Amino acid sequence: MRFILQRLGFYLLAAWAALTLNFFLPRLMPGDPATALFARFRGQLRPEAMQALREAFGLTPEPLLGQYITYLGHVLRGDFGVSVAYFPSPVSTIIGTGLLWTMFLAGTAVAVSFVLGTLLGVAAAWWRGGWMDTLLPPALALLGAFPYFWLAMVALYVFGFQLAWFPLGHAYADDLTPGMNLPFLASVLRHAALPVGTVVVATLGGWMLSMRNTMVSVLGSDYVNLARAKGLPPSRVVLRYAARNALLPSVTGFGMALGFVLGGSLLTEIVFSYPGQGYLLLQAVQSQDYPLMQGIFLVITLAVLGANWLVDIAYLWLDPRTREGS
Amino acid sequence: MTAPASRRSTGARAWLDAIRRDRKASVGALILVLFALLAVVGPLLVGDPTALVAVPLEPPSSAHWLGTTGQGQDVLAQTVVGTRVSLLIGFAVGIVVVLVGSLVGVTAGYFGGRVDGMLSLLFNVFLVIPGLPLAIVLAAYLPSGPLTVAAVLVFTGWAWNARVVRGQTLSLRRRDFVLASVVSGESSLRIITREILPNMTSLLVAQVIGSSVYAIGALVGLEFLGLGDVSSVTWGTNLYWASNDSALLTGAWWTYVPTGVCVALVGFGLVMLNSGFDEITNPRLQMERAWRAHLAAAGQPASRSTPVVVRDG
Amino acid sequence: MNRAASTSCVLAVLALAGCTPERRPVPRGTLVVSQEKQASWVRNFNPLAPGGAELWPTKAGIYEPLLVFNTVKGEYVPWLAVGHEWRPGHRVLRVKTREGVRWSDGAPFGARDVAFTFELLKKFPALDAGGVWSFLQEVRVVDGNTVDFEFSRVFVPGLDSLAIVPIVPEHLWSKVADPVTFRNENPVATGPFTEVRVFKNQVYELGRNPNYWQPGKPAVEALRLPAYPGNDRANLGLVFDEVDWAGSFVPAIDRVFVKRDPEHHRYWFPLIGGTIFLYANTRRPPFDDVRVRKAISMAIDRKRVVDVALFGYSRPSDATGLSDAYARWRNPEIAATGDWVRHDVSAANAALDGAGFPRGGDGIRRLPDGRPWKFEILAVAGYSDWVRTAQVVAGGLKEVGIDATVRNSDYGAWFQKLGEGRFDLALGWSVDGPTPYTFYRGLMTTSTVKPEGVPSFWNWHRYGSERGDALVAAFERAADPAEQRRLSDELQRAFVAEAPAIPLYPQPSWGEYNSRRFKGFSSADDPYAALSPNKSPDYLLVLTSIEPR
Repeated sequence: MRFILQRLGFYLLAAWAALTLNFFLPRLMPGDPATALFARFRGQLRPEAMQALREAFGLTPEPLLGQYITYLGHVLRGDFGVSVAYFPSPVSTIIGTGLLWTMFLAGTAVAVSFVLGTLLGVAAAWWRGGWMDTLLPPALALLGAFPYFWLAMVALYVFGFQLAWFPLGHAYADDLTPGMNLPFLASVLRHAALPVGTVVVATLGGWMLSMRNTMVSVLGSDYVNLARAKGLPPSRVVLRYAARNALLPSVTGFGMALGFVLGGSLLTEIVFSYPGQGYLLLQAVQSQDYPLMQGIFLVITLAVLGANWLVDIAYLWLDPRTREGS
Repeated sequence: MTAPASRRSTGARAWLDAIRRDRKASVGALILVLFALLAVVGPLLVGDPTALVAVPLEPPSSAHWLGTTGQGQDVLAQTVVGTRVSLLIGFAVGIVVVLVGSLVGVTAGYFGGRVDGMLSLLFNVFLVIPGLPLAIVLAAYLPSGPLTVAAVLVFTGWAWNARVVRGQTLSLRRRDFVLASVVSGESSLRIITREILPNMTSLLVAQVIGSSVYAIGALVGLEFLGLGDVSSVTWGTNLYWASNDSALLTGAWWTYVPTGVCVALVGFGLVMLNSGFDEITNPRLQMERAWRAHLAAAGQPASRSTPVVVRDG
Repeated sequence: MNRAASTSCVLAVLALAGCTPERRPVPRGTLVVSQEKQASWVRNFNPLAPGGAELWPTKAGIYEPLLVFNTVKGEYVPWLAVGHEWRPGHRVLRVKTREGVRWSDGAPFGARDVAFTFELLKKFPALDAGGVWSFLQEVRVVDGNTVDFEFSRVFVPGLDSLAIVPIVPEHLWSKVADPVTFRNENPVATGPFTEVRVFKNQVYELGRNPNYWQPGKPAVEALRLPAYPGNDRANLGLVFDEVDWAGSFVPAIDRVFVKRDPEHHRYWFPLIGGTIFLYANTRRPPFDDVRVRKAISMAIDRKRVVDVALFGYSRPSDATGLSDAYARWRNPEIAATGDWVRHDVSAANAALDGAGFPRGGDGIRRLPDGRPWKFEILAVAGYSDWVRTAQVVAGGLKEVGIDATVRNSDYGAWFQKLGEGRFDLALGWSVDGPTPYTFYRGLMTTSTVKPEGVPSFWNWHRYGSERGDALVAAFERAADPAEQRRLSDELQRAFVAEAPAIPLYPQPSWGEYNSRRFKGFSSADDPYAALSPNKSPDYLLVLTSIEPR
């Protein structure tokens, strides 16, 4: 329990750091939301209207500390300000439209990749020197070296555009209503297949290699040898004894990979016009919509921190030693 | 316990030998040497990559081996010239990332206590904040340009190295030869630069390689989003323009396949080189190799029956 | 649920995912439109909201303006107003509103709503994007169907600004506390489509207005708008028959789009989207010299520009700079006198030599103070047609001794530099209105010149002349069509003589349609209005003419 709380404290600290970074960035950087606004309106706006708008955005001079406290208060209430590009919609409303899709896409991709890669790693360690051990890792390393979004472009071109096996974009068919019904779930899966697939292909190699290497050393440890000597069936030895222990380092990596894969999956979303945060972030950048950009960054960071904490809890469950230590 | 030969002898010749002995490392090294040549010599052989030389989106032909872009530029020239800039920035960022990371890591590991606590907290926080979104936001605020992107990548990428280097420093700090130097009253700076860092060379080289993989990948990603200097010719901007000029719709695969393959090959070469290094310098994997070679010499297939040699460091 | 059951459940979903045909037919009468490129839709139907974040077709389709200017025919179509006339002295414009129009909630529409809308713009200047209160003095309700607009000065072109303002209902909007930040999620309006039937972040649907004032219209049952994040994705939708009507740039359209289904895949790109200019900052030497501007113009191969940069979708601009939107105003005889838009490198070189700008040893011309002619051409990265244009222009300038390089920056940075006049050469568009008045006012009047560093929304090249000022001032007082025509000719003559900016080509107005399910689109064969759904408010004419097959 103490471990869990300790980690929670750490993540809260990290969240505060992200918040503070987020606050000071626009105030230290050269970009100016006011000029971004003017550009956004393509010059259709007279200067008089401009002044009124600045006030509507709350661009008023106030001491920095006061601004900081106001900012923290707003963020705690879920208020990230008003978007420039989607004026006058609040940033929280806009982010809310796509957050679940991003988490679904990145989460599914990481989970599938982790499970599949780990199993491949176990197999490669077990049949050491076989084709799985010698050919697969370099092949996956090559695939993993392609940029995610590039794989996505090729997949979209080949399987979406040329072969028309998969839809060209969006998270589900436009005429369906989201809900727990079969056609909708089926549509979601079809639409997720290519984006998830490209991320999985790109990240599989890392999981496989790390699992394989740990497995190799665990397989040589005394207790595994003992289990083997007792005549337990090999499948039981591998899965119950060796793999469970070899999994620990991979689980530690899982949390960190989540943040990393999320970055890549944002790019993938853009290619597949998936209605998550990826394209929203890009659009915010292109239209210099600083409030939206920062809101997305903050929300993504908080989501990753939360997921990391859950991974810590899972680690505790997997590794009895940590439990005893607490 | 004898230290493996490759640990102690850190001369360039020893490295080369090690690379040559390992198949993965030699494949990786070969790829990288070829790309380095391409980056140095290539731009002299092709024309101006930004010149409008033909009709836009022309498929590969004898005049333009890799076709033309949506801007009517030669794809081959763009890819070759892009190699130079992308590799230069990628490796530079890789090195700086390791420099910054090592500085923080060594400081934390060597001094320990409060300093370690603060610095460890700092890099652990950086490790859990998702890098790419932060990089995108930072790059959007700063004036666009190669320096901006490089700075952003260093800012978001140093933490991992700090963590690894701190761990290594902690273990070296407890070794006899370091303790001896401490007792004999040598300055901390001298101990760090003379005793600790030289003993981490292979680790640092591996870190530079790994960080370069990260840097090139992230660089291409940011530039693909249009966050770099889109007027310059780099791999990332090539892909940006390909997507901007409707490469998918017009079926102009030649505008994005060459660059993507280049990025992947360089990344692959680096990963191979690193995993080769790992096998050379990691005692456990080294023993496994030796055993396998031994079995092969004896005509035995290496299979699951192979006993695994475990050495706990 | 036990393990076997959940496994079989997952398998069933997977099987369904693999087998069900994804493309179900769109219901008959639902028109799929691709107009805007957005990552996801954010609900906003406020027609007056500044910033253009309101969803299509809020400004002309959900809400409606008083008059619709038909750019193709060059005339006003009476809409919520059935007539307008200037009172003697041209200080008061009397507008008659249409009788029998109802808001979609059933309440009657009348002159009070018009007056209320304009009062709202006065009260909240952020809503007054067109700046109507810069020339208005008072808006008075005369009777239930009559409004008087009293001007603070004689300003005939003011009609154009008044005509496009969307009218909102007084009985609902009088209760809105802050119309600037109001998102109006459930619009009540007079237009053909007012019922929000579906709203999701990747698609929304608007149903027809049950109380629409045009009997039997609209024939279209509903509009569906899928969110396509980029031009490429929108074009894929068009090519794959997902979209019935679109307004996006399609490269090599005959090969990419038409060839896939020549019978139904159609497009029409009339050259009414304004003019693309090469702006030379006339506040910086040597561009203050008219001979230099004309020489630069002659160094540009416009034919190559339109062929390479625009896939031949446009034509080289003439020396009046007027696009086909002003076909009724453009005087071909005057245009023919402008020889400085013809590609003639030797004449350009001769003109520059004659103007006293010798070449240095490196072939680059020098300013009197010895600085070489080394300039950047600003373009917007992402506007690939502009980037190509800039490259062709730069190539041409090199031949006359100007070291020009293309500088692509993102839209915001480009607009900032352009607006503040911090550039030497830049690509940019024109500011247009129903008559050449707005066009030339933004190109050659001293009143629109701002100092460098002060953002301006037109006249970026910062040029003004007495002749331009006088003609524009006269135009503001001219209500007689013959007098307007005479002034328009004079303005063209002045532009040809002074070359304030360098016109490159008239911009096509992008419009594509798929006639598989609908008919009645405007086209080159039946050009009753601009086809493009981007051309506001012209598309209102198309929206009310399309019929399902």
